[in-house]
Amino acid sequence: MDTEQLLLTSLAMGDRVATEQIYNQHYPVVTKWIQNNGGAEPDAADIYQEAMVVLYEKSQDESFRLSCRIGTYLFAVSKHLWYKKIARQQKSPGLLPDSAEYDDNRDWAYEDDINAHKERELYYSQLNTALEQLGEPCRSLLKAFYHEDKSMQDIATSFGYTNPENAKTQKYKCLGRLRKIFYNAGVK
Amino acid sequence: MLTEHNIWQLAERYADGTLPQQELDALEQKKASDSAFATEFNECLNVMRSMNDAGKQARFRNTLKDIQAANTATAKPLRTIPLHQHYWRTAAVAAGIALLTSLSTLWVTQHNNNKMASQYSLLKRDLETYKRSQSRLINNIQQQQQNTPAAEVRYTGTGFALTNDGYLVTNYHVTEGADSVYIQSRNGSYHKAYTVGYDQKADIAILKIEDKDFRFGKGELPYSFAPNKRKLGTKVYSLGFPQDEIVYNEGYISSKNGFDGDSSQYRLQMPAYPGQSGAPIIDPNGNVVAMITGKDASSEGTTYAVSSKALMTLVQSLPKSNNIKLSKSNKLNNLTLEQQIEKLEYYTCSIKVYKK
Repeated sequence: MDTEQLLLTSLAMGDRVATEQIYNQHYPVVTKWIQNNGGAEPDAADIYQEAMVVLYEKSQDESFRLSCRIGTYLFAVSKHLWYKKIARQQKSPGLLPDSAEYDDNRDWAYEDDINAHKERELYYSQLNTALEQLGEPCRSLLKAFYHEDKSMQDIATSFGYTNPENAKTQKYKCLGRLRKIFYNAGVK
Repeated sequence: MLTEHNIWQLAERYADGTLPQQELDALEQKKASDSAFATEFNECLNVMRSMNDAGKQARFRNTLKDIQAANTATAKPLRTIPLHQHYWRTAAVAAGIALLTSLSTLWVTQHNNNKMASQYSLLKRDLETYKRSQSRLINNIQQQQQNTPAAEVRYTGTGFALTNDGYLVTNYHVTEGADSVYIQSRNGSYHKAYTVGYDQKADIAILKIEDKDFRFGKGELPYSFAPNKRKLGTKVYSLGFPQDEIVYNEGYISSKNGFDGDSSQYRLQMPAYPGQSGAPIIDPNGNVVAMITGKDASSEGTTYAVSSKALMTLVQSLPKSNNIKLSKSNKLNNLTLEQQIEKLEYYTCSIKVYKK
């Protein structure tokens, strides 16, 4: 397994060190390019982070193998996201990619990844809307378990349940309510 | 017959991959023979997996933000303010004051409480009124700052800390119907907050800042909360945000009951301006005795404030899981007024309310 694949495997598990290494390694090139193409620094950081998320989601599939180097992938996806953003802002057809040094006709090759990413984000935001409609303590309980990765033991303590088993029963009840809201809202 | 509890349990073990082959086979058989069960099971599994994946992604995004924040912090360039930016600030403050003065009579009176009809003015600052002339300046300032919410501020109010780790209190009418609420802390940074509890009648809302690592100041709160009503004539002062900078005011308790004899309130002789809703009222020993809620529309200088007792009642009614521990020690009582204010500035913040 080469270094890049090893990094990706660690990234997939959400490993902080690997994430930091990848992030810092390619940050300057990508953000500099965005800034040269009309983006402010915070825009550049946002776009770059979005590209990192795209890579992270791809890496969740165990069979995933990158056909190019990580840097190339991040750069291409960032560029693509940036052009889309400009196009949205200007409501005009997207600018054609310029022929900067990194261009190697791969710029639009990750269209599928980005579309999949868009769909997933939409789906998550619908899920989140449903989650926000849940009353307390359900919303906080599910967030503690799924978003904050707390153990049932911790949750039982902080939410005042006598034991983890009771907290778990409550969690299932909350999931049941979430499911009703989510599916009644017509999301399949 | 499987209960819903059983189905979730089954789905969870299935998702974790901890279901033994035998049960797995039984499950497949049941799904094949009972289509209603199959639908239910699949929906459960889907919700669970989605929550799992969304949660993982949220954690990953947080890691990225963390890394970015750490990088920005270490590679901080020298802070130089370009000239035009410098003038924007001055101009904005000047315009703010000018507009505030000219529009100070247009106070918002919309409130669904009948008794508070025309005599009672709420003191949130309605920025919509002078949006056209001012918002451009304000926005220009905001673009220079990180983590600035996208929409335009509709109202501003004042809030103060209940605990150092991000619980704070303000008026219910400030956050009522808000799309989102941000607080601006002493160093100018914005932090998103959400409501954890409120009492509409007493006009109190308790908020929590989303960022878990947020702290108002270095240590625990320097002030404590007065458990019972203070005497008539007690000298009091307040700190609030009728403009972008913190403003000091002083006065005294002029009646132990508030508007229309409301015993949860005090009546104060103290000037108050829009934007000061939610400002703390503090006695000379550094105890919070009340929170400004409104003023008498017909007479200048009459201000109403909800007592700290009503505030504590609301805190106690919240679920234990919030874990709000009000400070009992008071570190202000031996300090001069100036020193007290200096400390309090860290725990008082401006509240920005966004509404469509």
